Amino acid sequence: MKSFIIKLLTILMLFSFSSVIANEHGTSNADALKHKEETYKTQSFSEMVVGFLESTGVNALINPDPDELNSHGEEMSDFHKSWGRVIMVFITFLLFYLAIKKGFEPLLLLPIAFGGLLANIPVADIAGADGFLGVIYSMGLENEMFPIIIFMGVGAMTDFGPLLSNPKTALLGGAAQFGIFGTLVGAVALSQYGIVDFTLQQASAISIIGGADGPTSIFIASKLAPELLGAIAVASYSYMAMVPIIQPPIMRALTTDAERKIKMTTLRHVSRLEKLIFPLLVLVLAILVLPASTPLIGAFMFGNFLKESGVVERLNDTLQNALINTVTIFLGLGVGSKLASDQFLVPDTLAILALGIVAFSVGTAAGVLMAKVMNIFPGNKINPLIGSAGVSAVPMAARVSNKVGMEYDRSNMLLMHAMGPNVAGVIGSAVAAGVLISLFQ
Amino acid sequence: METNLIVEGFKFMGLGMSTVILFLIILIFLMNAMSKILNKYFPEPQASLEPKVGSKPDNKKTIAAISAAVSHHRQG
Repeated sequence: MKSFIIKLLTILMLFSFSSVIANEHGTSNADALKHKEETYKTQSFSEMVVGFLESTGVNALINPDPDELNSHGEEMSDFHKSWGRVIMVFITFLLFYLAIKKGFEPLLLLPIAFGGLLANIPVADIAGADGFLGVIYSMGLENEMFPIIIFMGVGAMTDFGPLLSNPKTALLGGAAQFGIFGTLVGAVALSQYGIVDFTLQQASAISIIGGADGPTSIFIASKLAPELLGAIAVASYSYMAMVPIIQPPIMRALTTDAERKIKMTTLRHVSRLEKLIFPLLVLVLAILVLPASTPLIGAFMFGNFLKESGVVERLNDTLQNALINTVTIFLGLGVGSKLASDQFLVPDTLAILALGIVAFSVGTAAGVLMAKVMNIFPGNKINPLIGSAGVSAVPMAARVSNKVGMEYDRSNMLLMHAMGPNVAGVIGSAVAAGVLISLFQ
Repeated sequence: METNLIVEGFKFMGLGMSTVILFLIILIFLMNAMSKILNKYFPEPQASLEPKVGSKPDNKKTIAAISAAVSHHRQG
């Protein structure tokens, strides 16, 4: 009997409580409705038409809104609000053409270009803090998350076998990083003579284009110079796509006919255990020497370790396919949001594009020259053509080495030999990135 | 500050390149050491045996297929 009364009381209490809440809710709803009714005023039809015309894109492009701010909440010039946007739309069309017709890294260039197209729409403010491109940017680019996930996927796709069977080719991947630091000097020299105005951070972020590694460039740019991210990413991916055009002339100019025909000894068999231990070996070395590089190297080796372990085929498959594809879409769109006219149509962009191609060429040349230096010493000879693969750009640069080699001797297969410096180049540019990060900490 | 910007760049280059090269040289030594140790203490048993066992019947089949094709070609 007593318990029944208690239950009854509790039920009553709950009931009254919930009805109070419902009441409050109801009144607030009514307030909101009232508020809406107040803000919406009846207009004559002609007023509605005029109001609508004022909100069109044509009007926004012809008569820029003086109060409009860019995605950082700063003032923009009238040029960037009107004709700048039109120019940017044509630039994105050019990128579409390069990606679709010319096959320039379409996987990334298409999402980047489309993101750029969306970012230049007036009124809608898609790249702003509340627009979906802005949300994507702050979700994974501002905190450097997306490039790291891409790195995991790239790690799962990488086979270190060719490097393990001929370890000394790793030096070629190291030499090619000269492109990064040579360009760094070039960039600060340009600012020194007042041609452009780059800080050391910005110069470092630009020079990493020479590492020929998209995710690394984006990682460093969003850490050191987020304002240059769009131009750096576009330069980096376009030049990676242009590797087959940029590299061969440099390779031919620096080698003799006899050197190009050098045949390399066949690669030895690499045991599974070696491939399994290698990622841990690199990671431990990175921890001991340069912890600043471990976000990149750690993610890379995580992906590779999952693959080589052979027991998590499902995770490996996700990393190589579903995850990297998903993140590539977001990464591309997020980078594209930085192609807004006020950030891309500035003199700096031209300087970045120019410095980027210098970085690429210097890296290629340094790799080739390093191979020639190594041939002075006794031991198995190295075909200098694989030196150019030391700039990362996996696997495009290795394919270029193979193709140029075949032009001079059809039976000379350099692809697997070039994969060694190629993957060493990835490690090398991650280490170079770590050095740059550690210098600014 | 204005004057030493290029010098700064060269300092970055010196430190950066030597770190990268040193890192990779140590890595080369470690790779060589690892392969020596692994080949000595954990040799792969199937690496030397499997190809011999696996390739013989394959060879016979290939030879049979080739000779059949050749004789077919001569007849035709």
